[in-house]
Amino acid sequence: MNIEPVPGGPGTVAPRAPEPLSRRSRASALLTLAVRHPAVVPTGAVVLAVLIGAAIVLAAGLNPISAYSAVLAGALDLENLDYTFSVWALICGMALAAAIPLRMGEFNLGGNGQMVLGGLAAAFIAGQLDLPSILLIPLAVVAAGVVAGAFGAISAPLSTRYGIPIIISTLLLSPVAVAIVSYLLRFQLGEAGSAVAQTERFPDSAHMWALGSLSYSNMGLILIIVLMALFWLVDSRSAVGFELRVIGANRRFASYGGVRVGRLAFGAMAASGAVAGVVGAIIVLSPPYRLVDGALLSPGYTFAGLAAALLAGGRPAFVPLTAALFTILQVGGGGMERSADVPRQLSDVLQGVVIIVLALRTIVDSRRTGRSATS
Amino acid sequence: MNVFEWGFVAAVLLAATPILYSSLAGALSSQVGVFNIALEGQMLWGAFAAVAGSFYTGSAWAGVLIAVVTTALFSVTLAVGSARWGADPIVIAIGTNLFALGITGFLMRVLFDVSGTFSPRGLQGLDKMSFLAEIPVLGPVFAGQTALVPLAFVFIVVIGLWLKLTPSGLRLRGVGEHPEAASSLGIKVASYQMWVTIAGGALCGIAGAQLSLGNVTVFTENMTAGRGWIAVAAVMLVMGRPLWLPVACLGFGAAEALGFRLQGIGAPQQLTDAAPYAITIAVLVGMRMWVTARNRRPSLSAQPVPLPSQPESTS
Amino acid sequence: MTTVPAVALVGISKRFGAIVANDGVDLVLSRGTVHAVMGENGAGKSTLMSILFGLVSPDSGNIFVDGKPTTFSGPLDAISSGLGMVHQHFRLFESMTVAENVVYGAEPRRNGLVNRKAAHDRVRELSARYGLDVDPGAVVGTLSVGTQQRVEIFKALHRDARILILDEPTAVLTPGEVTSLFAVIRRAADAGTTVVLVTHKINEVLSVSDEVTVLRDGRVTGRFQRADATSAKLVHAMTGREVTPVANSGSGSVGAAVLRVNNLTVVDHHTVRVTDVSVDVRAGEIVGIAGVSGNGQHELVEAILGTRRALSGTIELLGRDIGAASVRDRRALGLAVIPEDRRGEGSAVQLSTAENLTLGHHRTAPVGASRGLRRGWISLRAERARARDLIAEYDVRTSGEQLPVGSLSGGNAQKVVIARELSHNAPLLIAEQPTQGVDVGAIEAIHGRLLDYRATGGAILLVSHEITELLALADRILVMYAGRIFAEFSRSEATTARIGAAMAGAQAETDIPTEASRL
Repeated sequence: MNIEPVPGGPGTVAPRAPEPLSRRSRASALLTLAVRHPAVVPTGAVVLAVLIGAAIVLAAGLNPISAYSAVLAGALDLENLDYTFSVWALICGMALAAAIPLRMGEFNLGGNGQMVLGGLAAAFIAGQLDLPSILLIPLAVVAAGVVAGAFGAISAPLSTRYGIPIIISTLLLSPVAVAIVSYLLRFQLGEAGSAVAQTERFPDSAHMWALGSLSYSNMGLILIIVLMALFWLVDSRSAVGFELRVIGANRRFASYGGVRVGRLAFGAMAASGAVAGVVGAIIVLSPPYRLVDGALLSPGYTFAGLAAALLAGGRPAFVPLTAALFTILQVGGGGMERSADVPRQLSDVLQGVVIIVLALRTIVDSRRTGRSATS
Repeated sequence: MNVFEWGFVAAVLLAATPILYSSLAGALSSQVGVFNIALEGQMLWGAFAAVAGSFYTGSAWAGVLIAVVTTALFSVTLAVGSARWGADPIVIAIGTNLFALGITGFLMRVLFDVSGTFSPRGLQGLDKMSFLAEIPVLGPVFAGQTALVPLAFVFIVVIGLWLKLTPSGLRLRGVGEHPEAASSLGIKVASYQMWVTIAGGALCGIAGAQLSLGNVTVFTENMTAGRGWIAVAAVMLVMGRPLWLPVACLGFGAAEALGFRLQGIGAPQQLTDAAPYAITIAVLVGMRMWVTARNRRPSLSAQPVPLPSQPESTS
Repeated sequence: MTTVPAVALVGISKRFGAIVANDGVDLVLSRGTVHAVMGENGAGKSTLMSILFGLVSPDSGNIFVDGKPTTFSGPLDAISSGLGMVHQHFRLFESMTVAENVVYGAEPRRNGLVNRKAAHDRVRELSARYGLDVDPGAVVGTLSVGTQQRVEIFKALHRDARILILDEPTAVLTPGEVTSLFAVIRRAADAGTTVVLVTHKINEVLSVSDEVTVLRDGRVTGRFQRADATSAKLVHAMTGREVTPVANSGSGSVGAAVLRVNNLTVVDHHTVRVTDVSVDVRAGEIVGIAGVSGNGQHELVEAILGTRRALSGTIELLGRDIGAASVRDRRALGLAVIPEDRRGEGSAVQLSTAENLTLGHHRTAPVGASRGLRRGWISLRAERARARDLIAEYDVRTSGEQLPVGSLSGGNAQKVVIARELSHNAPLLIAEQPTQGVDVGAIEAIHGRLLDYRATGGAILLVSHEITELLALADRILVMYAGRIFAEFSRSEATTARIGAAMAGAQAETDIPTEASRL
């Protein structure tokens, strides 16, 4: 049997004669396995980013150790834990919204638009319907998911039928949704006579149920945890989750194997948008129990979530951890500013550095092969 | 509100200029096959560097120079990472955008001990071309503008001609269209991608400087406020034809200027906020539908290919 | 003929892993001649040309250009030594003009700018010299394939190529375009250019070449001057390998038709790939499709699988018209496919062996479930167990079913694909180059599997360019050439020579083509 070997082509994979494994090569095989572990890359990126951050703090003439310990203290102090968890839920939710399409190799950059549309839908239900809590809150959350999910799903046919990549359509559609919501708030749904564009305060029946005596974390946290678990389950144990991963690994292989790529992309984008919408709903059904123009976007949950999803490589088991990391940075930033006098913007710096280091991990491969990866 | 007054034209130019510079950067990147969504962060850094430079040197033009140089350096991560090391430019850009947002705020605190807004007394802005004031038309349009505004159009023309007429411009266009073909003819594809991305960084530096020293004389946290994304939309809108950029950017600039006026009279500015994105997506979909319809119309050359005929030749 | 040859390759050897692509090949190109390099897929033509053009460096052997020993560290060295290559797949900038494409990277200049007029004049001059009409200002994307090929040739000639390599240049051309290409080749040679024509088509060799070198299994098996070459000699040199013992012991009971393809035509990018093809495959039968790659076999397979739409014609599987059905529905009805491109289409290299084995089985027991509460869910335990069973059954050498398929050798990765598809027990199996890149021991095992499959009543459509493989397995052999069924042989009629001749486009009705004039 012979084939025509094309340099670099698939044909060059030659049958390898089995070699007896020496002790040394077995050790190096074990090492390779360890290095291949999916947790290695994100951990390495975080460690490097922390070091780079420390260098920046040092260069600014400040103390990195006290800065970092202030971050940890600020976020994980028992008194703040309640607040930290409430933020974690939101970042985790937006990370989930980014992670679902990431499983099939697509970027959802439209989390902002999906989140505010969800917030709008929830606000509309909460403000307009006079129902008992037990009906009103689930209805508001579901409405948020449906509206934002439908909005997110638009990107799938735009990609499969019109050839506009998902990353581009989500990026372009998002500001349109943000503007629509802002317009409605200011001119249609807003509280009359208020200087701020915001809805009226929702009735008590629309206040997300509290968790015991906690003042920030509420049932939204539980909802996000349930969604995370559901994602993990679907990703690892369901036919659909399997198919999504196959698309992400090799789209041609998926279509050859009978996966309906278009339909699945539609479902994934709908789910992604829906989760972002639910995050929006959780925000508006929590204090101050209004939809306030711009308030959903200013904390930057979308890009923190996207960064967390990227760092986790979209893996459901890692998303809560990476989301926790970015939550600690975000929440602890304030504490750092107060107690160590290091500007809280260091949090954003670190978020950015983690992602840059993560992206540049290809340097290792390109060094190994000794040539540029693009040709 | 009279759309046709010269003051409005001036406002459109003012709004369009930063977008023009940064979308030129994005368009050049896309010509060499690098999808550049790092414009927002690079422009923000440029705006900060320009103000800091002007503050330390006392010269606004020195500020511009510092913005250009440091933003070019800022873009090295994207340039080298994506062209040399094969990293995903999208992921790098997400990282550098976050980084720019953080580091500008961080440095504002560390260097100037302020947060939110930095506008020290005596901060030099770029000179307006007030010597034009007496000239009709040019006066009302350009007298209140910095030299960077007309310079943007000079850049567009020069770069357009360069792409069209010079050997390096020709090669550059080939790199993005068909990298394998270019490299088979001896073109160093990665170098082109890298240097063009760095040049794009320099252009974003100008964009930021115009924003912080030309449009106003102040740096505020996140002052680009999405202009980098509008530039990305403009790049997509023109689909690889940089000479159309002025049209797209002036249109988007008009939307911004109009929105500003609408806001002034309490009318919905949101319409004009959304316009650049809505127009871009509508044009992309429309173009695609048109192309599909056009391809469907003529029959495919469906007559079967006859078998190879007897060789006419030789024996 | 005197003097120093334009190019001489002496004792060229190159191996890729265990595969010997070139083994002591000598190739001498006399100046101003058309030299055909012939051979089937895998004979080593492409490797030899890659070495000549500096894309691959040889393990041993020497290259002489104009008598001087030369080493090429890349195609640029080859270009500056006067070589030019026209690849089978063009490398053109479709948005640019003809003139821009021709001068790209070697532009005539004036005052630092591209001298447009000089570029256009250059194209016109080349057009005139070679009798080709090409508008220098036309945008390349709007031109026909034949004209695009002329642009490719001009690119090489613009760089003053004295040695022009054309890799399967007629594969994409219409007959009229072939005629005019040959005229260009002739003119170029008469003007002193040395032309290397890489081809598997006998009539091309006989009609335009001055000299022929035939390769088989990486070695030179024939060298002819035009006057001595006959199609019989060429076919013998190309295919005359030892015939291996036939594994197929004759067909058992042949049942009803499982697959019926009627008058299928497939068009891709405005080029007709498959023309009016009809094939039936019955239960308990292996039907072979022979043909050199690129003659429409792959598009035929894609149309049957459903990853490509046919322009006209019908496809029936088990009596049901599946022309409009999705891939998933076709597979559910009873279709399994071993694809040609293992890494691109047949597997996902980052996913584990277990996951690769699961695709297509993830909605049926034991891994998934087609009904009941477990419908739509996957049992990881069942996935692992099934993967271990298949790994053992198909003798896949791996240290664990959770390792990515990319870490396996080519032969073992192919076994994973085969295990996955055979375990469907589908009524119809399409096997496309099933033993490509697989070592000898594994080939026998795979052939045995396919024969067992047939013995249990399976219908197999076997697409291969390996004549020995087809002779060993197939009950009937159809030869595809230029998108059509060009010849059909029953088991008793099929011989290496006949199939080889048909694959090279020699007329089918002759027993063994003997005269060039009969082509």
